[in-house]
Amino acid sequence: MHIPDGYLGPVTSGVMYAVMLPVWAVASRMVKKTLRARQVPLLAIGAAFSFVIMMFNVPIPAGTTGHAVGAVLVAILLGPWAACIAVTVALVVQALLFGDGGITAVGANCFNMAFIEVFAGYYIYKLLSGSSPIASGRRVIAAGIAGYLALNIAALSTAIMFGIQPLLHKTANGQALYCPYGLHIAIPAMAGEHLLLFGWIEALVTGLVIKYLQKQDPALLAAGKEALR
Amino acid sequence: MRNNSSRFIERSITGALSFLRNSVFADDIALQKGYLQARDPRIRAAGIGVLLLAVLFARSALFLSSAYLLCLLLAAASSIHTMFFLKRTWLFIPAFAFFIAIPALFNFFTPGEPLISLGHGVSITEQGLHGAVIFFTRVLTSVSLAVLLSLTTRHSVLLRVLRIFKIPQVFVMTLGMSYRYIYLFIETVQNTFTAIKSRVGHVSSVRKGQRAVAWNIASLWLRSYQLQNQIFSAMLSRGYTGEALILYEFRAGAKDFFWLGVTIAVFVFGLWTNRYLH
Repeated sequence: MHIPDGYLGPVTSGVMYAVMLPVWAVASRMVKKTLRARQVPLLAIGAAFSFVIMMFNVPIPAGTTGHAVGAVLVAILLGPWAACIAVTVALVVQALLFGDGGITAVGANCFNMAFIEVFAGYYIYKLLSGSSPIASGRRVIAAGIAGYLALNIAALSTAIMFGIQPLLHKTANGQALYCPYGLHIAIPAMAGEHLLLFGWIEALVTGLVIKYLQKQDPALLAAGKEALR
Repeated sequence: MRNNSSRFIERSITGALSFLRNSVFADDIALQKGYLQARDPRIRAAGIGVLLLAVLFARSALFLSSAYLLCLLLAAASSIHTMFFLKRTWLFIPAFAFFIAIPALFNFFTPGEPLISLGHGVSITEQGLHGAVIFFTRVLTSVSLAVLLSLTTRHSVLLRVLRIFKIPQVFVMTLGMSYRYIYLFIETVQNTFTAIKSRVGHVSSVRKGQRAVAWNIASLWLRSYQLQNQIFSAMLSRGYTGEALILYEFRAGAKDFFWLGVTIAVFVFGLWTNRYLH
């Protein structure tokens, strides 16, 4: 789901930066307002945690592997605004410090993974878990469903960004300049792999981690719930 | 399949560690003498940003190929071994972009003037070939520029540069701290994995493997959360008062502004070529 440099044209890249600027401003204001000085390291821990989750390859039947984004998990543990900053930082570290590319696409990547996935996942989890106790099985299922749905919503948003490139940027003789595939190819391709494969990895990782945390230290989930709203 | 899946965590961790080791090696290159290393880090980052914009706006394969050659020249002038640079930039993202671009060559994805007919109504079109070349060279050149910045700038310096560009403090502080945690976390995960391996041996099935990954992530969060108080105490003992202080010792000279001027000229030239070159 990470969009590298060169896949999106200047219009999409610019618009996504413009959309994310107010989101980052509000996130930084919200976190500054609610963050207690003692919790400053927690935000950095959340960002590093998100980065490391993306490095874990999960085995898939048929002998291949895939990885989770972990955005919904971080949102459940830290709250959506703090998760927005944490996932943004993880994506910037990947793009800038490790030279993975995606500098011009940081706005688009953050829109998909640090905004859409974080907020959709957090509110789906909140809706499905309702007022159930911290250690209830319902929360595990809610976390899994939230992970699955939020990743697919983010993947759809990514597919739309890819698919509109031939509409936005094409030469007079029909030559594509950026991602060469239109919506009719980008959406089924992205939706297929995320509905059938990566969505399940996200659901599995999010649900199982919540389950293990419930067993090991349920107070931590409660603390996370109160931490950085 | 069982044998393959049994070592997936080991492969993940080994891959992650070698990736991180490469990034530490990147700091070694940043400390060497070279053209980009000699530039003021702010101007160096701004110049590479301008070149990235030039590549983003370009519509000509010739301009993009020339920009890629410029990347190779800059790498050579900055004490980066060519083979190391090629390996670092061609693998992963450009290789993936290359395979993505292949179907776009054909008439069923990109209709247009047939260039090479393959029979049964299948052909490589002129539009498909030009589009694929532009797409691939743009991705390759962009990745090369990002890698040039990352290799020639110490990561701690790059974080300070972000602060100068008025990035909100909460982001810069989180970036600086999280960068250090990443190393610690990978080490923690490796130790946890060694502990699992020494107690239960290799993970023998997909289901057990998935549970081991989830357990590892959960255990990482538990340990990280416990770290929070210790780190805050360490911050207080070093004089943290709620505001992170960053020292600036950057000085820009005539040669730095010349570099910036050249990158701006390349950007303007790129816009001009959009009208005349294809």
